[in-house]
Amino acid sequence: MAASQLLLEVLALGAAYALVALGFVLILNATGAVNFSQGDMVMAGGFGAVLLGNALHVPGLVLLPLLLAGMAALGVVVAAVAYMPLRRRPPEAVFISTIAVGIILQNAANHLFGAEPIAAPPLLGAGRVRFAGIDASVQSLAIIGVAVLLVVFLQVLFAHTQFGRRLRATAQDREVAMAIGIPVDRMVTVTFAIGAALAGAAGLLLANAFFVTPTSGADYMVKAYIAIVIGGWGSIPGAVAGALLIAAFEVLYPSLPLLIPPLLRMAQSDTVFSQTTSTIVLDVAVLVILVARPRGLFGDAVRQRP
Amino acid sequence: MSAPLLVVDALTVHYGNVPALRDVGLSVLAREAVALLGANGAGKSTLMKSIIGLVGVDSGRILLGGQALGGMRADRRARLGIGYCPEGRRVFPGLTVWENLAVACWGEARVRAARMEAMFALFPVLAQRAATRAWQLSGGQQQMLAVARSLMDAPRLLLLDEPSLGLSPRLTDEVLRQIPAIVAAGTSVLLAEQNAAKALAVCSRAVVLKLGRVAASGPAAELAASDEVRAAFLGG
Amino acid sequence: MPMMPWRTSLARAGVGLPLAVIALVVAAIVLPQASDYALRVLSAAGIYALLALGYSFIFGQAGALSLAQGTFMGVGAYVSGILAVRWGLPFDAALPASVGLPVALALLVAIPVLRLQTHYFALATLLIGQIVLLVVTQWESVTGGANGIGGVPPLALLGHAIEGRLPALLLVWALVVAGGALAWQITRGRLGDAFAVLRTHPVMAGAVGIDPGLLRFTAFLLSAGYAGLAGSLYVHAIGVLSPDILGFPVMVTCLTIAVIGSRLRIAGAIAGAVLIIELPEWARFLRDDYLLAFGCILLLVVVALPGGLTEAAERLLGRFWTAPPVAPVVPVRIQPRALPARGDALLRVAGLGVRFGGVRALDDVTMELRAGEILGLIGPNGSGKTTLLNIITGIYRPDGGQVWLGGRAIVGRKPHAIARLGIARTFQTAALVPEMSALDNVAVARDAACVGLRQALAVGLRDGPRARARAEAMALLDRMGAGQQAAVPAGALPPGVARLVEIARALACVPLVLLLDEPAAGLNETEQAELARRLRRVADDGVGLLVIEHNMPFLAPLADRMACLDHGQLIAAGTPAQVQADPAVIEAYLGTPVAMPT
Repeated sequence: MAASQLLLEVLALGAAYALVALGFVLILNATGAVNFSQGDMVMAGGFGAVLLGNALHVPGLVLLPLLLAGMAALGVVVAAVAYMPLRRRPPEAVFISTIAVGIILQNAANHLFGAEPIAAPPLLGAGRVRFAGIDASVQSLAIIGVAVLLVVFLQVLFAHTQFGRRLRATAQDREVAMAIGIPVDRMVTVTFAIGAALAGAAGLLLANAFFVTPTSGADYMVKAYIAIVIGGWGSIPGAVAGALLIAAFEVLYPSLPLLIPPLLRMAQSDTVFSQTTSTIVLDVAVLVILVARPRGLFGDAVRQRP
Repeated sequence: MSAPLLVVDALTVHYGNVPALRDVGLSVLAREAVALLGANGAGKSTLMKSIIGLVGVDSGRILLGGQALGGMRADRRARLGIGYCPEGRRVFPGLTVWENLAVACWGEARVRAARMEAMFALFPVLAQRAATRAWQLSGGQQQMLAVARSLMDAPRLLLLDEPSLGLSPRLTDEVLRQIPAIVAAGTSVLLAEQNAAKALAVCSRAVVLKLGRVAASGPAAELAASDEVRAAFLGG
Repeated sequence: MPMMPWRTSLARAGVGLPLAVIALVVAAIVLPQASDYALRVLSAAGIYALLALGYSFIFGQAGALSLAQGTFMGVGAYVSGILAVRWGLPFDAALPASVGLPVALALLVAIPVLRLQTHYFALATLLIGQIVLLVVTQWESVTGGANGIGGVPPLALLGHAIEGRLPALLLVWALVVAGGALAWQITRGRLGDAFAVLRTHPVMAGAVGIDPGLLRFTAFLLSAGYAGLAGSLYVHAIGVLSPDILGFPVMVTCLTIAVIGSRLRIAGAIAGAVLIIELPEWARFLRDDYLLAFGCILLLVVVALPGGLTEAAERLLGRFWTAPPVAPVVPVRIQPRALPARGDALLRVAGLGVRFGGVRALDDVTMELRAGEILGLIGPNGSGKTTLLNIITGIYRPDGGQVWLGGRAIVGRKPHAIARLGIARTFQTAALVPEMSALDNVAVARDAACVGLRQALAVGLRDGPRARARAEAMALLDRMGAGQQAAVPAGALPPGVARLVEIARALACVPLVLLLDEPAAGLNETEQAELARRLRRVADDGVGLLVIEHNMPFLAPLADRMACLDHGQLIAAGTPAQVQADPAVIEAYLGTPVAMPT
């Protein structure tokens, strides 16, 4: 398998993970609290895409705006129920309330769809493209395209609109933001809406290639959490970098025996380079990072709520 | 005699069990600068935060332009015309100078551009560093940015909380020097300061707080000469 | 006539005792006729009660959101199940391993993981859970992989298999009672008070000599042990070993029980477990969606009832039933530490400097504090006074310089070690535990080095060490003039009295040096005069006092010497009169007038 092929796989997977991590870090920045239901929101997005796809029979690209709107509404509800009443309590109250939201989403999905893996409609269409020696699925290219578009959109929003600048200001100093006239609670609700919409986009994209089950959200949650820790707690570019690193690891680790022939001998049993072992190695690596650098790899980019 | 712009009447504020302000009253007229003096812990910051609404009030009233502020939230008070420059500068660290100023202005783009010009005229060094992120600025530059930010929405009243904190005497002078210009442009100033001499030099009236109560008030020149101010700080 | 000590302890058991009595009565009536299925569910409730009891150590007492409790239970289950199926080891013989291995795992990860802040700690425990689950599903040869292992024999005790649902249930609940009693024994005395301090104010815990790391470590290991026991009971009760036991739903159930039952109360853990496990039975329509119900309940309780149901019940009961009065405590004077002669240097600071970000918060500060003297430290806001205190007490590390107590260099030591060596302090905002009485707030600082698991297990019903600590605390409160308010909860004390209680607590550490951060703030003039008198007497006993203050009328007559900081540097030192008249000091505080443009 050519290196460029692997690179494309890393980019596609990394792009989807980046969308999950971005939503997570946005909410973290705006509230200082961890949204434990972020992964389950991705799952909800995936199932939402399935529902819309069954109802409308159009390509995923057409469904996307509808899905984003629906997920944004879900984000507003989650903010109202799991964050607003707990604003003044210690951060772990929001930890627990969002764990609860995640459980509710998971089990609602289980109730509605059952435990069988389901695929969401592809973004543009199934099929493959050939160029520059790479044989890529249209879906992979579409994932990269949509992710890039959304990241660019966010970048424009945050850097070039008053609204985006005020969101950043709220995240950096909530009290002072209030004192200069920014309606902080509204900002937080909007951030939850954007975070949920990003999760929805990620869900749509991932649910085609990887299918979606009610429990697939938990995995994404842990990955987003790891991406934030690696990339620097609260850093937006760090979250994207962390997501790409995780994707790189997940794609490359099982391929190591092919890349480095001497390792082929070690790969006698299926287990050493399996997907499961790669997750274990990743988790252990992150634990080691946390132990060696209790403030994360690049330190806290955002001061924590005391 | 014009009606006062700001009236604080019999204000009492508690932090839990601790009384921070007891029966405090003062007024600020239009186009004047009033110094709020007192040692640390006297209640100056608490009073500022009560006026902008970041701290709740147990009893008493605050009126802006005759309108009672009651339990109004801080962001609404800001939009009513109160500018707040907090203790310790607290600029938005990840935003550039330009962005720090922009987020504080609620007018349309033309108005915003005009206000920014005015702020750059007041503090030229900010114009030179307009694209720098705020965390990279020096202490003095951050203080100027904080003051400018609080003026971006052309407030009627500016609450300046201890701008001299952490600044060298020279930089403090540079910041405080602008207060007469600010007042002349139409914004009243309530200046909380530990550094009494510097504050009294740029304000026309002063109020002295001691242990949460008003200990003295009157024209700045009078208080500058009196022993009371010195006693409030050094007890000698 | 003093109340019997056991009656006071029982009275403190709150709502637990009446609940337990009711439960026993109901059980005696219902159980003999209950169906096999109902008994099985009740056994499951007991197992989760054990799990939740263990969780209350790390989540309730230590206040740390661990997400590994389900993992520890799963490890216990797997160890006991594998030993039973592959090596024929019965339940009781396997206990050392099925309880010991989760504890060993907790030990392995505790030291690096426990010092992480909340958001990292939760992730670390989550990752540990994921790693264990994945390893177990991979390691098919030993664990049976994703399919697990069937045919786990039922519970066995001393060679006899326990057939039948009722005996099994009785064994489970006997262990629950034992576990509850152990938890009660551990937390009812001084160790429980120390945990309360740790939860409320971790920084302050170190300042009174409590070792936060050791306490969290103990709590974590205890929680793992209980979970291991619960797991081994579980696997023998259901007869099948499956990776489901390591899944997140178990952790969610445990968390839900803890939040609902109230994270601290033993009765809460047990009642919560019964409630939650029985819930799907009472609401049949929830059968498959019980986790959905748990999620909704969890959300509702977190938002609306933060203390959990037990606390809500106690508040309700509190209106009808007041706790019996606390017996008056006879004060006992503490043996004073051997103090150096008056005038000898107790605390020396040389060349101390620290930088935060770009700011030099302290710059080459050198000074000394002598026995029996009161040194006043003044300076404008932000001049570094509290930073100096924080460095001396070990909360921050300086970039340069050294601090000596007696002859001993103390830079680099942990705050609790420094406190035990003889440096005590108060904080700008009186840091007392609001729910504990003034007396207990002081008593918790007595001999903090002797508070630990071993000591907690060794106390009898009378709790001698605690009684003695309270008696000594009473003497200190009397000395500070706060003896009348000994039984009042600290949260209800007026600020003047709270200040005195905090000083009494600092004195409870029998310090050589007492550092006070703005002790007169918020006090009226009468209270200030009273405070000054008491501080003078403390100094007269030979203790060295360093008092940070802004309040000159209070400080100047009190202090023997004064020093002034400005922008992190020492700009003046001498008698109060000298310092007050020093031109550098006057400029730092009052400033010199600026030349005005015309």
